[in-house]
Amino acid sequence: MEQLLEFFSFSDPNVVAVVIGSVLLTASSAVVGTFTFLRKKALVGDAVAHSVLPGICLAFILSGTKNPFLLIIGAFITGWLSLVIIDAITTRSKIKEDTAIALILSVFFGVGILMLTHIQHSGNAAQTGLDSFLFGKAAALVGSDLVTFGIVAVVLIVTVGLFFKELKLISFDMSYAKALGIPVRAIDLLLTTLTVLAVVTGIQAVGVILMAAMLITPAAAARFWTNDVKRMTLIAATMGALSGLAGAYVSYVAPAMPTGPWIVMIISAVALLSFFLAPRRGILSRAVSQRALQHQIMDENLLKALFHLGEKDETPYKGRTAEEIIKRRHFPRKRLMASLWRLKREGFLSKENGLWAFTEAGKLKGQRVVKLHRLWELYLSQYMKIAPDHVHEDAETIEHIITPEIEVELERMLEYPEVDPHEERIPY
Amino acid sequence: MRVEAKAPAVEFHDLTVSYHKKPVLWNIDMTLPKGALIGIIGPNGAGKSTLIKAAMGLLPLGSGFVRMFDEDLDTVRHRVSYVPQRESVDWDFPTSVLDVVLMGRYAKLGLLSRPRKADKEMAMNCLRKVGMEGFVNRQISQLSGGQQQRVFLARALAQEAELYFMDEPFAGVDAATEAAILGIMQEMTNQGKTVVVVHHDLQSAAEFFDWIVLLNMRLVASGPIDKVFTNELLQETYGGKLTVLAEVGELVRKRQIPSREKY
Repeated sequence: MEQLLEFFSFSDPNVVAVVIGSVLLTASSAVVGTFTFLRKKALVGDAVAHSVLPGICLAFILSGTKNPFLLIIGAFITGWLSLVIIDAITTRSKIKEDTAIALILSVFFGVGILMLTHIQHSGNAAQTGLDSFLFGKAAALVGSDLVTFGIVAVVLIVTVGLFFKELKLISFDMSYAKALGIPVRAIDLLLTTLTVLAVVTGIQAVGVILMAAMLITPAAAARFWTNDVKRMTLIAATMGALSGLAGAYVSYVAPAMPTGPWIVMIISAVALLSFFLAPRRGILSRAVSQRALQHQIMDENLLKALFHLGEKDETPYKGRTAEEIIKRRHFPRKRLMASLWRLKREGFLSKENGLWAFTEAGKLKGQRVVKLHRLWELYLSQYMKIAPDHVHEDAETIEHIITPEIEVELERMLEYPEVDPHEERIPY
Repeated sequence: MRVEAKAPAVEFHDLTVSYHKKPVLWNIDMTLPKGALIGIIGPNGAGKSTLIKAAMGLLPLGSGFVRMFDEDLDTVRHRVSYVPQRESVDWDFPTSVLDVVLMGRYAKLGLLSRPRKADKEMAMNCLRKVGMEGFVNRQISQLSGGQQQRVFLARALAQEAELYFMDEPFAGVDAATEAAILGIMQEMTNQGKTVVVVHHDLQSAAEFFDWIVLLNMRLVASGPIDKVFTNELLQETYGGKLTVLAEVGELVRKRQIPSREKY
């Protein structure tokens, strides 16, 4: 608790630096990743992330220092190279893109690990901490490292902002963009460069192995909350920043702990929550609306059955027992009771001495469902020439869907008919 | 049967196009008149979409060239608009109807600048023309097929071009949308604009277009509807598939022969 307060009071300048660094890095990869996600290039992001490792090692072997600028250049070169080779393999051979990605990812990463092991056994004192590129170490983001990585992160965000409209266009409709004369190849190249750069900067906080998650997960989570690219980018950036902040905190409290896994776990938890809780697109919200629909159908069927019972002997308001209703239409008993009570609560039914009866509103509602059913049957047989004995099943479904506007249209088209194809009276 | 147009809007000169090294269009040579509603008709796999994609520079040309208003496409691109097939994009993309129509203004805006108020008003006007003004802020995944097609048309209109290439704009749309789209096309041609439409339904083609291009891997006919829409030519387009042409195309693909020799 004490550590928590100490951290979030931001009184330690080191803490401030690490927080700013992590937040910038994770937010910028989320921003770039939004378009990687929208262009359906998630796997490519993973390939780049793994392919920067040999570049980092090579830069270190050649220079003998951990100068962040040189490491970025090395990472950038091999990251790019992997993409060029994937592209060449896909266009020039029969190997498909997913296979090419798997091949290149493992070869580059394998070489990277080989070089890293070699460096670790070389006895060079400067190498300590190089392995933090595997799983990330936000706490190492201080001094000149922070400045370099921070600048790249800001450049990434600004560039996406500047070319936002073009990036959106090529993600949505590539051939139209080409036809407009937009420099599609250049914009595509720009996005690829941004992806590589985002990976290169992000690895300081997250590490090469889990970096792809930092590109894709915030975008995938943000997609649940909005239907607008701009808002989606902002939400992804915020989610990325939050996980970056959490990562920085973990790094502060437990310096021995790699930050990457923590950051990825937190952003994944955010994604999972979005998946379940988001309005409209989320699982929970869908389940709720499905349930509401099922209730509506059950209630309407019940009102219809009650209306049918009263229709024969023209006693619409007579009370009925649950058994009578089940005899008319075989509802599962539990559902029937739930529906009866629900309709009573809503004022469509009343209950006296164990007998359920229509209120005025209930009778009208039941009558409308029956009317819609019969109108639809008539419409099917008159306009679609379907035999009268084939229209009932269809009308069972459609009666719950028809809107008041379509209802008016049907009445008009069929000229307020008296009876349906089975010679049953249509109630108005 | 080939009627040449005077002062043509589009000229195809000896065009050959291949897909994965397999030639799908052979030696297309024709001119299309300005201010006409032109239908490109032919069976499945005839290369109709390929022809307009090649014209828009979306596919590499095996040989030959296409000229518009007697210029290269790149010099007159701002006067030419393209409507891709509706299925070619992911309609679950997170964007609104207005945003899609605004894309039609991007070429005029250039890089780095944002749509201005005037562009938004222009987009609104185009949406009104296609009867979609009530859907401005609707997310595009909520649109029906016909509505999607109208949005694509509005986007093309927002370009204020003079020559339009449309890929199957009538495919899978309701009767009301069909009538609306046709009405807009006729209004466009009345204003002297040229509209080239890939179309697959023979029956309606006879009612829609003033100029017909019959295509089946090669050009069967191009000319005013009364001269081209004859039983004999339709028979040649739909019935008599040139099996040798298809076989040779397959051979070219198998042996990876470039469609034109270099030396």
